[in-house]
Amino acid sequence: MTFLRTHRTMATVIASVLAYVVIKLLSILPLVNGEPLLNAYYIQLIILVGINIVMTVSLGMVNGFTGQFSIGHAGFMAVGAYTSAMITTVWLHTSTANPWVGYPVFIVAILAGGLLAAAAGYLVGAPSLRLKGDYLAIVTLSANELIRTVIRVTDALGGPRGLGGIPKFTTLEVVFVFAIVSVVLMRNYLFSSHGRSMKAIRDSEIAAESTGINTTRQKVFVFVFSAFFAGVSGGVFAHLLQFIHPDNFSFVKSLEYLIYLYVGGSTSISGAIVGPAIFTLLPELLRGLESWRMVIYPLILILTMIFRTEGIMGLKEFSFILIPQRQRKEVSV
Amino acid sequence: MALLDVQHLTQFFGGLRAVSDFNIQLEHGEIVGLIGPNGAGKTTVFNVMTGVYTPTKGTIVFDGQNIVGRKTYQITQAGIARTFQTIRLFSKSSVIDNIKIAYHFRMSYGNIDAFLHTRKYWEGEQLVDDYAIDLLRLFHLEGHAEDVSGSLPYGAQRRLEIARALATKPKLLILDEPAAGMNPAEADELMEMIHWLREKFDLTILLIEHQMRVVMGVCERIKVMDFGETICEGVPEYIRNDPRVCEAYLGKGA
Repeated sequence: MTFLRTHRTMATVIASVLAYVVIKLLSILPLVNGEPLLNAYYIQLIILVGINIVMTVSLGMVNGFTGQFSIGHAGFMAVGAYTSAMITTVWLHTSTANPWVGYPVFIVAILAGGLLAAAAGYLVGAPSLRLKGDYLAIVTLSANELIRTVIRVTDALGGPRGLGGIPKFTTLEVVFVFAIVSVVLMRNYLFSSHGRSMKAIRDSEIAAESTGINTTRQKVFVFVFSAFFAGVSGGVFAHLLQFIHPDNFSFVKSLEYLIYLYVGGSTSISGAIVGPAIFTLLPELLRGLESWRMVIYPLILILTMIFRTEGIMGLKEFSFILIPQRQRKEVSV
Repeated sequence: MALLDVQHLTQFFGGLRAVSDFNIQLEHGEIVGLIGPNGAGKTTVFNVMTGVYTPTKGTIVFDGQNIVGRKTYQITQAGIARTFQTIRLFSKSSVIDNIKIAYHFRMSYGNIDAFLHTRKYWEGEQLVDDYAIDLLRLFHLEGHAEDVSGSLPYGAQRRLEIARALATKPKLLILDEPAAGMNPAEADELMEMIHWLREKFDLTILLIEHQMRVVMGVCERIKVMDFGETICEGVPEYIRNDPRVCEAYLGKGA
């Protein structure tokens, strides 16, 4: 047990592997009338939870921890989704038939999607993050719609018909590895000197600047890597649904991530995990209520925001997210 | 050569002349005060010196380099640290993180080390933690190291803001109304602290202050401003008896 307490990253990985094994068993073992408890549809939902967690945690890096207000995250997701789908489907005609060829191509494709999304993030962020105030919100919103419209009118990308026939590379295993690696990387960054600078910019940009932090560079870097993770998520998303359409990545989609983030708790990585997990699954759990669920879902949102203004997690983190504190030597001066 | 040499500094805001032809030379180790009624342009002088505004005219040479046109963070890295008139701590961060943030530009690890928590990261974190806790001890704040800085009492927040400025290892420390909101006993402690700071950290100190007791008690040299102009300059006794200073503060015929 002491090992788990001192090696939190290992503990996180072990816990996630256990969660994976449980979900996998529930999807194989015939528990209910000779059928497994989790059918293919539920597995797809769980995969979506993983993708939404990465989207929300990466959005939280900008909105929650650096105090900037980006509201076009789905635009970067679209860049990643279309880039990776073009590489695997249109240019290389990859299929899942031979995984030894397919998966390397898939990995390269989603990373390329992430890099192109990061480049788009730089184009959007570099000019607007120099300014203080609400400019970023306006610019990201416009960028989101701009990206969607460009895809819509570009015939090579499928235009308004969408892009189909994408091989299904995204499995439960893929999304587990993807979500854990992404969250651990972003968690690590947050618990570093650079992460402390992000929070300093959020609390007082003037004071951060006058303690020697190049605030513009720090803000742009966070925005760019946030866009990178959104782009990779987009790639994973495209290879789950096997069909993408520009309207999948509209401003409404961006709003969904903002809701997940602020309901979960924008200043907590745990919140950015809990938020999308609950609110991706909630509509399914409310399915029995039929059309009443369109009343209950927003009601739950409103009540959470009234009774937990800072989100479900507030400023708290699960202990597996935190980095262990170093024991300081006691010295009397 | 003077540590800081400001020549003919002039700052316009549109048609308003906030500071006109301001000159000051600071020698290494001096404690100098800048006083004047509200709106005299004192804080504007500070803001120009720390790169918040680019002056309309004039030169600022610090430690042999011209710093006009440099950004605030570059000026801090060159060795000028400041505190604010109204406290600006990183209020949601812990007390020790406030210090560590000021050490950020000296940290040896980069973005990749931060993502992967490499060996370099752990070494850097250990180094900054030792440094920060030692600095907090000097300011009697080590017991609050893990507290959220916004929850500290007022006096402790003032001390932390000064400690944070010192964590950038400055040569020149500029304090904007450090005694604001302090009672006489706290102000006395502050005066002792300013002298101690100079000895301990080998500093040159420039301060704006409204409490005359503090200014007269701590400064070796005082500059008086009114309506953007320097009206008087000299040792405290000289300033105290100067009719122009009385006039600026109290009006004619007083």
